[in-house]
Amino acid sequence: MRVPLSWLREYVDFDLSADELVELISLRVQEVDGVSRLGIREGEVVVGEVREFGPHPNADRLFVARVDLGGREVQIVAGAPNPYPGAKVPVVLPGSVMADGTKLGKAKLRGLESYGMMMSERELGISSDHGGILLLDDSFEVGRPVADYFPVSETVLEIDVFPNRPDLWGMIGVSRELAAVLGTDHRIPETSPGSGGEPTGAYGLRVEAEDLCPRYDLRRVSGVAPGSRAPLWMRQRLYASGMRPINAVVDATNYVMLETGQPIHAFDAEKVREGIVVRRAREGERITLLDGSTRALDEEVLLIADEEKGLVIAGVMGAEDAEVGDETTDVLVEVATFDGTNIMQTSQRLGLRTDASGRFERGLDPNMVGYAMDRVTALIASVCGGLVAEDTLSHYPEPVRPWRVPLRVERAELLLGIPVDSEEAAARLTRLGLSIEKENGRLSTTVPTFRRDLRREADLIEEVGRLMGLEKVPEMLPEISQPGGLTPSQQRLRRLRHVLADVGFAEALTYPFGPDRWLEVLGAGEDSAVRVQNPLSAEGKYLRTSILPGLLDAVARNRSFGARGAGLFEVGNTFEPHPPPEGVRGAAIRFRIAGETDRPGPDAGPDEYSLMGVREIPRVGLVLAGTVRPAGWNTPSFRAGFFEAKGIVERLVPGARFEPSERPFLHPGRSAVVRVGEAEVGWVGELHPEVAGRFELDGWPVAAFELNLGACEPDPEPRFEPFVNVPAVNRDLAVVVSSQVPIGDMLDTIEGLGSPILAEIRIFDVYEGPQVPEGHKSVALSFTFQAQETLTDEGVDAEIGRIAARLGEEFGATVRS
Amino acid sequence: MAVIQRIEELKSGALSAVAAAGSTAALEDVRVRFLGRSAEITEIKKSIGSLSPEDRKEVGRAANLASREIEEALRARTNELAAGEREARLRTEAVDVTLPGVPFPKGHLHPSMRVIDDVVDFFVGLGYRVAEGPEVETDYYNFTALNIPPEHPARSEHDTFFLDEGLVLRTHTSPVQIRTMLAQEPPVYVVCPGRTYRRDSDPTHTPMFHQIEGLAVDRGLTLGHLKGTLAAMARHVFGEELKVRLRPGYFQFTEPSVEMDLSCFVCGGNDPNCTLCKGAGWLEMLGAGMVDPAVLEEVGYDPEEYTGFAFGMGPDRMAMVKYGIPDLRLFFEGDLRFLRQF
Repeated sequence: MRVPLSWLREYVDFDLSADELVELISLRVQEVDGVSRLGIREGEVVVGEVREFGPHPNADRLFVARVDLGGREVQIVAGAPNPYPGAKVPVVLPGSVMADGTKLGKAKLRGLESYGMMMSERELGISSDHGGILLLDDSFEVGRPVADYFPVSETVLEIDVFPNRPDLWGMIGVSRELAAVLGTDHRIPETSPGSGGEPTGAYGLRVEAEDLCPRYDLRRVSGVAPGSRAPLWMRQRLYASGMRPINAVVDATNYVMLETGQPIHAFDAEKVREGIVVRRAREGERITLLDGSTRALDEEVLLIADEEKGLVIAGVMGAEDAEVGDETTDVLVEVATFDGTNIMQTSQRLGLRTDASGRFERGLDPNMVGYAMDRVTALIASVCGGLVAEDTLSHYPEPVRPWRVPLRVERAELLLGIPVDSEEAAARLTRLGLSIEKENGRLSTTVPTFRRDLRREADLIEEVGRLMGLEKVPEMLPEISQPGGLTPSQQRLRRLRHVLADVGFAEALTYPFGPDRWLEVLGAGEDSAVRVQNPLSAEGKYLRTSILPGLLDAVARNRSFGARGAGLFEVGNTFEPHPPPEGVRGAAIRFRIAGETDRPGPDAGPDEYSLMGVREIPRVGLVLAGTVRPAGWNTPSFRAGFFEAKGIVERLVPGARFEPSERPFLHPGRSAVVRVGEAEVGWVGELHPEVAGRFELDGWPVAAFELNLGACEPDPEPRFEPFVNVPAVNRDLAVVVSSQVPIGDMLDTIEGLGSPILAEIRIFDVYEGPQVPEGHKSVALSFTFQAQETLTDEGVDAEIGRIAARLGEEFGATVRS
Repeated sequence: MAVIQRIEELKSGALSAVAAAGSTAALEDVRVRFLGRSAEITEIKKSIGSLSPEDRKEVGRAANLASREIEEALRARTNELAAGEREARLRTEAVDVTLPGVPFPKGHLHPSMRVIDDVVDFFVGLGYRVAEGPEVETDYYNFTALNIPPEHPARSEHDTFFLDEGLVLRTHTSPVQIRTMLAQEPPVYVVCPGRTYRRDSDPTHTPMFHQIEGLAVDRGLTLGHLKGTLAAMARHVFGEELKVRLRPGYFQFTEPSVEMDLSCFVCGGNDPNCTLCKGAGWLEMLGAGMVDPAVLEEVGYDPEEYTGFAFGMGPDRMAMVKYGIPDLRLFFEGDLRFLRQF
């Protein structure tokens, strides 16, 4: 809501600078989004009369005038050709400061001195018109300040009105609010009933769609002077309020809308056939609107029509047919309220949001209609001539009446945490328009119908609190009688992220939306992903089923900016469709929309889960790509590869087992599923080069993994194992086996021997080449043996022999000498 | 006696030789020459047996004393020389101490997560727990249970992503509060951090962003508790000197509703050209309020017995302010030039 301060001052007295007012409104009412200035900032504009006007002798596009400022004549250079001798013009005097901050001096323009400047409408802040000098009519008296007629220096506050306060969309509401804050009174413009005009009753009014139209009032203003322009003071206010002047009648309706918050529509009465009908549109009925568009309507649209055709989409926009134009002499004024939800839906479906629809959407007070009608018809008559009808056609079958809300002072004190004096609370609320009675020490309030947001005690307490001042609220801390803390799984997650960062990777957060390409790459069908009904673009059609593609996109982005590699991880959810079982679709919808479960109670939990229809799986994903860390002068580089990725998995998942796997997006020979026990908890592998290519990562090694969070235990709970002080014995063994033998199986077999003295095994070399037969590899193992007493060479040799023999039986391994 | 005389001569000769030796190797030569198997003093000791008992005693003593003295001198000189030689050797082992050390990897935690962890830690310290909920949420929990029934105009402001019928990507973390209250009895003290989604994209809006909401329901909670709690949180995150102020606010599920501003921690309100607060002196940081009685009733709490406060904040925006990041979109691009700074 744009609030011109000159207008506000007309309704309420205050002695505050703009800055102080902004602060006060922000702290007591609503946020002020900004302050703008129109016209001049400082100085004076006076009415001048042009005596002489002609071309500038030294410049083609300039003119020079002699202007009478009331008793003295000055020379002024102008850029516009429209003034003429005898024309009255606004002249801003030297020393004044313009809206943009420039100070006007006595200037010489192409050799001629200019005393101030003649002003355009834009320079005065009354319209965006900069096509020529504003010419004033005869009512302006030469030598008088223009500010006597309309403000030449305007400050406008932009107040951010909360959606539950449509009363603040009008100057009257804003002034009431400011008066309540200041503890003073406000004034509203007086109105008068109509007299002498042609009867409204010559037309009919029929409201067919009563459910969508709580109130509809119609009054006629006849004998209007055609083609009138609104007076400058009105145009200045409309412009300062962000509206465009159109013609005097429409401007007057807009002016009263800005005053009251109530949108108003004016019809050219001569174009209305017989009367006004408020009805639902017929299926397929078409209407051509003021913006030139033709719309096909349906029965959900409320239409203001005459007996022949639709005239206005109610509360949204009018058709050209019956609008007030330059020839209009007879006007029918509509002031009405409509069902807010219906207006919102219509405006959304048609993609038409207008000043009026935005107001009706919030639900307006039908009791404002009467005042607004009196005010707007009188204003039209006063600015365009004409006479207002004595009769009003009104449809208001169920008048809205004020309602009562009790207020307990002790409840206010509890919620606000400050002492509340009941007299003060009553006084504050009275200023807002409530009437207060005391009953047994309690306050009973009656709320005016324009404050539909005040329904309950808590609503009143909010009003009392903000008007008393929220700065009075003390800072306190509750005494909490429960221990807080992270759950074990929350702690695990925290550690997991810290471990991955500590070992050198960067935590990324990526959007969980992806295109078709993601599914194709993962080898997944459309049914395997949750569809977004209204994505921002085709790039976001599905919820991710894997963290991988998002990270790959991020890596590609880094590469395009010159990175040589990346190590990125992300912790987040992936999503899978999990359609509710056959036959419970209806129950699922009821649950989702209305929160209903068929089996309420503690055992409803698993039910809800299946009714949700989507499973969220918390996961951690990591991608290594290219040269993750370059070589240093004394350290090797760290490049992406299967074993680098696997090593991190081993760090995160104690007891993980790895089995070769075929996933379409992974290198068929360098990928594995990760298991804990029998459960599959993720995968690890190098990216298939084809997939790397699709992510613009050609030529880079890329390795990745993705794990269920539940399987990760980066810091398992330790348990003390006793140890002995007897020295350990180390012994190496190299065996030759077929290249096909998985070394992990060899290790499992050795573990399976259950050696009582074997403490540790380490693989320290794997070799294939000329030194071993073709199709074979040499595997070098280092064993650490340890026992309660000192081991003998014989004992250790025997154990090595047992291991070698077992490897021989199981894998055909031969000891390499 | 001539032998004793000779011993003395040998001793002083040896001592001079020890003093003159310039290396441990030279000292070893001295030792062999004066105390070795064929050294003269050794010979004298061997010959003692052939002396008269009186001489034997005297010569023996003199010879032992002399060799002990020489050994002592040798030891002292050896230590002295060895230390010097070790020093010299160490000097040859010098490295360029300005070369970088072996790089231990340093990773990076996302700035939003840093703020979330920090805020969560603060509340956990007060006695709060962390509540979580699904990102795919039902229409009921995301809106209706929060006082935003179907057809309510506030819904259109949420720019919701819709999924299957009745399912949305949650537009705020508020449904977690509802789920928490449905699952337990008061007192409730929880914070709910998480990802949220709105269909919006520009420098200050991304389709995904984070929220941290909090909820306290107990007997006797007031707006003062809300203010004190959030002020302490803000000081924990942004600095002890911070001041706070409340302004009227509007939220569907709180009444009274407030917004909280923090004094600008860059300029303290003293710089009209401050790049952070633009001269306002205050930063909008939090929305909050006393839980609406209708919401308490919806979850089966008695609003006459319990009151509560709820608050919400945007950790992404807090990170922008705290670390001076100009564009929210940077947060979700996975760009290492950005991530490496945290």
